[in-house]
Order: sequence, then structure tokens, then C-alpha cells
Amino acid sequence: MSTPPRDNTDLIAGLFLMATGVFFGWQALGLELGTSLRMGPGYFPLVLSALLVVIGLVVLIKAFGREGEPLGQIAWRGMMFILPAPVFFGLTVRGLGFVPALFVTTLIASQASVRMRPLPALALSVAVTILATLVFSYGLGLPFRRFGPWLPF
Amino acid sequence: MDLLSNLALGFGVATSLANLAFCLIGVILGTLIGVLPGIGATATIAMLLPITFQLEPVSSLIMLAGIYYGAQYGGSTTAILINMPGESSSAVTAIDGYQMARKGRAGTALATAAIGSFFAGTVATFLVAIFAPPLTAVALKFGAAEYFSLMVMGLVMSVALAHGSVLKALGMVVLGLLLGLVGTDIYTGAPRFTMGITQFSDGLNFVAVAVGVFGIAEILRNLEDEHDREVMTRTINRLFPTREELRAMIGPILRGTGIGSVLGILPGGGAILASFASYTVEKKLSRTPEEFGHGALAGVAGPESANNAGAQTSFIPLLTLGIPANPVMALMIGAMIIQGIVPGPNVVTEQPELFWGIVASMWIGNLMLVVLNLPLIGLWVKLLTVPYFVLFPIIMAMCSIGVYSVASNPYDLFAVAFFGLLGYVLSKLRCEPAPLLLGFVLGPLLEENLRRAMILSRGDPTTFVTRPISLGLLLASLAVLALVFLPQIRKRRDEVFTETDA
Amino acid sequence: MTMTLTRRILLGAAFSLGLAGAAAAAFPDRAVTLVIPFAAGGSTDVVGRIVAERMAQALGQQVVVQNVGGAGGSLGAQQVAQAEPDGYTILMGTVATHALNPLILKQKPYDPVADFAPVSLLVLVPNVLAVNPELPVTTVQELIDLAKKEPLAYASSGNGTPLHLSGELFKSMAGVDITHIPYKGSGPALTDVLGNQVPIIFDNLPSASGHIASGKLRALGVTTTERAPSFPDVPAIADTLPGYETYSWNALFAPAATPPEAIEALAAAARAAMADPAVAARMAEFSATIVASTPEELGAHVKAEMEKWAPVVTKANVSLD
Repeated sequence: MSTPPRDNTDLIAGLFLMATGVFFGWQALGLELGTSLRMGPGYFPLVLSALLVVIGLVVLIKAFGREGEPLGQIAWRGMMFILPAPVFFGLTVRGLGFVPALFVTTLIASQASVRMRPLPALALSVAVTILATLVFSYGLGLPFRRFGPWLPF
Repeated sequence: MDLLSNLALGFGVATSLANLAFCLIGVILGTLIGVLPGIGATATIAMLLPITFQLEPVSSLIMLAGIYYGAQYGGSTTAILINMPGESSSAVTAIDGYQMARKGRAGTALATAAIGSFFAGTVATFLVAIFAPPLTAVALKFGAAEYFSLMVMGLVMSVALAHGSVLKALGMVVLGLLLGLVGTDIYTGAPRFTMGITQFSDGLNFVAVAVGVFGIAEILRNLEDEHDREVMTRTINRLFPTREELRAMIGPILRGTGIGSVLGILPGGGAILASFASYTVEKKLSRTPEEFGHGALAGVAGPESANNAGAQTSFIPLLTLGIPANPVMALMIGAMIIQGIVPGPNVVTEQPELFWGIVASMWIGNLMLVVLNLPLIGLWVKLLTVPYFVLFPIIMAMCSIGVYSVASNPYDLFAVAFFGLLGYVLSKLRCEPAPLLLGFVLGPLLEENLRRAMILSRGDPTTFVTRPISLGLLLASLAVLALVFLPQIRKRRDEVFTETDA
Repeated sequence: MTMTLTRRILLGAAFSLGLAGAAAAAFPDRAVTLVIPFAAGGSTDVVGRIVAERMAQALGQQVVVQNVGGAGGSLGAQQVAQAEPDGYTILMGTVATHALNPLILKQKPYDPVADFAPVSLLVLVPNVLAVNPELPVTTVQELIDLAKKEPLAYASSGNGTPLHLSGELFKSMAGVDITHIPYKGSGPALTDVLGNQVPIIFDNLPSASGHIASGKLRALGVTTTERAPSFPDVPAIADTLPGYETYSWNALFAPAATPPEAIEALAAAARAAMADPAVAARMAEFSATIVASTPEELGAHVKAEMEKWAPVVTKANVSLD
């Protein structure tokens, strides 16, 4: 307990804001800046990036000298299954078609919870797929292909 | 009196049995589709638009208007129940509405939203009927300089009232502004921050960002520790507000209606500010500002009224000028043209039964909405008793469909995942998503109008203070800033965008 | 699960084999998707939906409209360019997707000639040069004279759009400099001209027509060489600047290598749709001139348009990444 108090959350938040600012600023430097009278595409973003770095720096400095709440648990399993679900849907909705893409998407997402057992997950995915297909594809006539060209039928 | 005979004509048209039926069908369909997570008003209308093509022009537009109100209300319902706003306006409702739901007051929150919307809709409908032509003249006075100053005022209002984490809120606004700039620069055509992906050349999709930072981040938070934490209280109190609650919502609803009606008229995105501005005002006026962010009733009543009033008055530029105030209105114009109606100043004089029929059906649509939804509240609230691990895969499936249906763009789905991650990281760092979203919607408007004003004034920055409306707005922004630095007011300051996940 | 899947694959294979033989005779045997490369509600969307409805009757199959907006139409066009060349995915192309974007974009997402099979040029839509009535000019010549004396600005629906380039062509032919103010679409540009924030606009005639008719905008000239039938009093800009001609157009394209039978069927359906009196009336209200060309004529048209616009694009120095 010899270390001086500091708020780790704000420390990371400050670094995060600064890093984001630097990233946007670096990207904005590749754009034409113009003058403040005739602004180029890079002018406004560069000003904002600089502002973000400054804000991040102040957050960082203020993090020292006080105790903060800890970060708490992190939803690793949640991230591992929730985030890929929409990505999978985006990658496959044209190729596989609406029905199989949605089925697998729901199945992936359902794995994010430890409480979900395999059989209920399967049943849920089937139910969601059937209902969504009836509503969106047949009911509303959205222009999705139900089964895409990657499937041989 | 002209107005009365016009309104009589309108109600005559709108209350024909067929038109009432179409309005009702529109409201029902709009609510049912809009209530699906990740599907906001724009997506709902885009999906349901083709259904209306086969109808008579008046019936088709009446049905579309019904769909619009239904979708708006449906969007607020998802914002309250599962923290999933589908539109920028319901992002504000999500802040306190979702907290109310978590405390078992979902019924009250939904009823508040319905009552506020109905009242605001009624008032705004009359405003449309009485003032449509003169108000249009005011809207046309707003040029680039005025819009820039208006956006500055919006940003100042939201940030200046923040306290404690004011710095992080400011950081989130700036980050939001930057994210809003992603896409093609409209003045030079240069792509900015698109990482070479053509699919992002028109900017990031709002629904993808909102669903990511609000909804998905919330799902991840709830999955952190499933064993000893319950997402929702199982005990759900009364569905309807008590007498005290009703009394408490009168002020916010009146103020929200006023703010929304005024801002909704401006075609350049004034309506976007309506719910944010109302939230800020309510928090400022509240005797218990610390409740905001933890389920304050006024935080739902005010913004919902503002949002609905703004939605109503944004019909003014559409009907009198043929100019869309937002993407939903752009779809409406398309629908009118397909029906063979040229939107523009002549609609009022050449097709009075169309114009007044729509005005009358606005009110009827709002009435149907409240009649339909008050009984449905019980059903929506029951949805919360579905176990969370069953609910969220359904949410993910609906989000995927909703986001994809807007533009058939798979990259929008990749953006959902990215912003879900970003939203989760930010929530872990105790940064709030609402200011980020405000910055995201204001960013492009702020820059576009700043640069346009500078080009139009030939590089003379005094344009912002020599134009009276712009000067007025900037002075108002200064006044807000000054208020913040007065000590007695500082005492009452609190974070505007507190949304602690405690 | 596995059982059904295998059975479906087998069935599907048998089915598609059977189809391959019959395809030529039986196009179309399922719904055709018409990709509109702009958001719903715009003028291309309107033309597309009206045509799609009649084409469906002629084809005896649904024509499903899909809006794939973004990047000035490039995303939708690219999607069709890469679609299966079976005639079931077609594009509502425009002057932007098949002449301007390919010239302007530094990275070419598709080739407007090699990647597409032309089907039919449907309509030509005039653009219009209009001013706020407070601007003290009533003719194109007066506008040119005024522009030589004092700085002016004109609004357009965006950088690299047909309207922007109509303005640039006007500037270079009239020898004047007028500042271009781009907007995000025609709507906001119109608002600012109606409010006299910007005095001049180049717009599509259909979207400006209501304001011209009501006197809120003063039309100085149409961009076609002939006057528009819907506005017989508005002269052509070419009367003052001989040789000035621009217009927007809408045409159907299929992916390259689409079977000729399918192209023929689609082109015949498009011609049938455009011959329908109800469609013709709608197009007239819209100030659009019906062409309903053959595939060969459209192919020649695309080449002519690219040749016409190339020097304008170079001269205006417009380029997008």
C-alpha cells in the first residue's frame, strides 16, 4: 500500500481519449487543412482531435491523488459471442441467404449466456428464424433472398 | 373562420371509415414493427412504405403518418424496456426510462411516454393547423450561420450543465463529433476516417452506432456476472401513474411540448436537439436533479413530449415547402411523388382536402396511439419477465435484421459490433454514451454549416454576430455558460448525462 | 437435420438442372430484384418504383425494389455488377452511376461498359437553372452579366452530382465564376435558395417544379436543348449558350454476361411499361421524357455520355477518392 492513490479507471479513460485523439489527428493530417477562412476537410477534425487529446490529458492528470472504483468484472464470454453475431449476419446474409444466416446468428448470440443449454438454444434459434422469415420475408416482402447462391438450391 | 372550416374539411376526410381504418392499421403496424429492437422509425417506414402504394393518395399518406407515430412510440418502448433506442430522439428517453424499468416502474415510464406524446401531439397539431404558413417564413430565415449558432447552443447546453464528470462528458461529445465526421467531406469529396472502406463513404449509420453504444453495451454489462445479478426487478409496480406522478409530469410535458414545437419547424435538423434540450431544461429546473439518470419521471415526460411535438411540427416544412426535415420526411416526399402529388407550397391551396386531411389525421393518429398503447403497456411489461438469456439472442437477431434493412449494407452490421465493443469499453471507463450520441448527430451539421457560412460570407467570421438570429443564439449560449459560473447555480448543477450502471 | 439438408441439396440440384434447360424459354420464373442505388424517396427511386410495378405485370413475376444507397450510387451499381448474371438482379442506373462516377472516382469500383449489359434507356429528366426571385435577373444573359460584376454563389445537391457538373459546365461556357455551395441532397439546397441564403440553384426539374409553378423560384432556363413540355415558358439555356446540354437519365442495366434472352425479356417488359398511358402520364407530371430504347441504343448512349462528360469533369477538376 505504498503507492499513492490513483483512480485507475480515469487513468485508462484519459489514456484512451488521448490515444483516440492522436489517431484521429494523425488521420486528419493526411487531409487538406485549408485556412480558418477557407477550411479544408482536415481543419475541423484536427481542431477536435487536439481538443480530445487535451481533455484526455486533464482526465489523466486528475486521476492521480484520489481513489476510484475498480473496473469490475469483464464480460469476456459475452463479447466472444455477442459481437460476432451481427458480423456473421453481415457476412453471410447475401451468400447463404436470410434464413440460414439468421439461424446461425441467433445460435451464436445465444451462446453468450452460461445459462443457455444447447437444446433450448437450438429451439430458440429455430423459432426466431421461422417467425422472422414469416414476418419480414413473407409478411413485409423485404427484398432478402431466403436461401442464397452459396447453397445449391 | 377559415381555420374552423378547414379543420372541418380535414376531419371530414380523415374520419371516413376507410381512412380511419388505414390510420388504425398504420398505427398498429408501426407500433409492432417499431417495437422490435434496433428498428427505428426510419427503418419501419422504409419497410412498410410499399404497402401504402396501392392506396388513394390521401389514404396512403394518412396510413404513413399512422405508421410514423406508431413507429416513434414503438421506438420509445424499446428504449425504455431494453435500452435500445432506434432514433436519436429516443436515445434521451432511454437514459431515465430504462432506469425506471429496472426499478420496476416500466409501466409508469411507458404510460408517461404515451400521455406526454399524446398531449404534445395534440398541441403541435393545432400549431400546424394555425401557423403552418407563417412558421415556414421563420424557418427560411435560418441560414448556415444561424444553424451553426443553434448547434453551438445545443452543445453548450448539454455540456455546461454537467458536473463532476463534466470533463469526460465533454470528451464524449468531442469523440461523438469526430465519429460524426466519418464519411465523404461534402465540400471537397475527400473521404475522411473511412479506412478506405467505400461503404462508410456516406458516414456511419446512426442506428448502428446507437444500437451498439446503448443496446449491445448494455447486454454485455448484463452478461458480466450472471449468477448473482438480476437485470430487472421481478416485482413490477402499478402500470399506471399515480395522481402525484401525473401532477409531476404536467410541467415537463408543457415545457417539452413548447421546446419540441419550436425546434421541429427548422428543416436543418433542429428537431434533433428537441429531446436533448428538454432533458437539459428539466434537469436544470428540477428540485431533485440528482434523480436524473436514476429514473427521473421528468426525464421521460419532457423529452418524449418534445420529441413528439417536434415530429409533428416537422411536417410544417414538408407540407408547406415540400422540404424534408429528416430522413423520415424524405421518405414521405417520395411517397407523395409516387402518388402523383408534387410537394410544395401549392399543396395547401390546390389540394386542401389532402393537406387538412393529413393535419386532422395527425391528431386522430395520436389519439389511436394512446388508446391502443395504454392497454398494451401491460403486455410490453410482461416481456420483461422473459428470462434475459432468452431475450438477448432475440434482440441480437432483430437488431441484425433491422440494421441491415436500412441500406442492405453489411458494413453497418460490422459497425454494430464495433460500437458495441466501444460502448462497453466506455461504460467500463464510466463514460456515458448519451453525450457521444449527441455529438455524433450534431458533428456533421456543425461543421457543414460552419464551413458553408464561412464560404457564403467570403471568409468573414463576423457573419455569426452580424446576423441577428445567429447573434441571439450565440448570446443565449453565453448566457447559459455564465449561469453555470454563478455560484448559487453551480450548487445545483449536476451531471446531465449521468447514467451510472450501479 | 443432416437428412433434410442432404435431401434439399439433392432436390435443389435436380431442380436447378431442370431449370438450366428451360431457362431460355421461361425467363423469368421467379421475382426479379431491381436495385435502386439511392435512398428511398429520391427521383430515381420514384421512377424505379413506378416502372417496377408495370414491368411486373408485363413479366408475370414480381419486381422487388431494393434500395442500396451510398457513395453517390456506386454501392448499388457495384452490387449489381457483381451479382449473378442471370437477369434476376437488375439496376436502375443513372447519369451518375454510368457516366459521372466512373469519370470522377479515382478508385473505380466497376466499369460502366464492361461490367454491365444495357437493357433499356427509360427516361430523360431535364435539370433547371433557377434563382430566388429577389435576385434581379430574369434571363440567363442577365445572370451572366451580373456574375461578371459581382460575386455570386449557386447551390447544388452535392459534389460530383450531375447538378454540380451542370453548374460547372455553365460556368465554363459562360466564362463566369460562381462559387459552388454543395449540400447533402436537393432538399436542403432548395431550402436555402427559397430562403435566399444562396441566390442560385441547379436542380432536377421534378424536385424544383412545385416551387417554380408557385413563383417561389424563378426558372431562368432548362438544361435540355428543347424546352420542357411541362414548362413551355422556360427557355433552354442553349438559347443563350449554344451547345449547352445536360440532363439526368434513368436506364435499366443487367450484369454483363446476362443471357440475351433474359435481356430481351426485360427490355420488352420495360418498353411495355413505358408505353402504358398511366406511366406516361406520371412521367409527364414528372417532366420526364420517355425514351424506352433498345439495349443497343442504351449501350451507345452510355458511351456518348462518357465522352461528353469527360472534358467537363477534367475542366471542373472534380475528383473523388
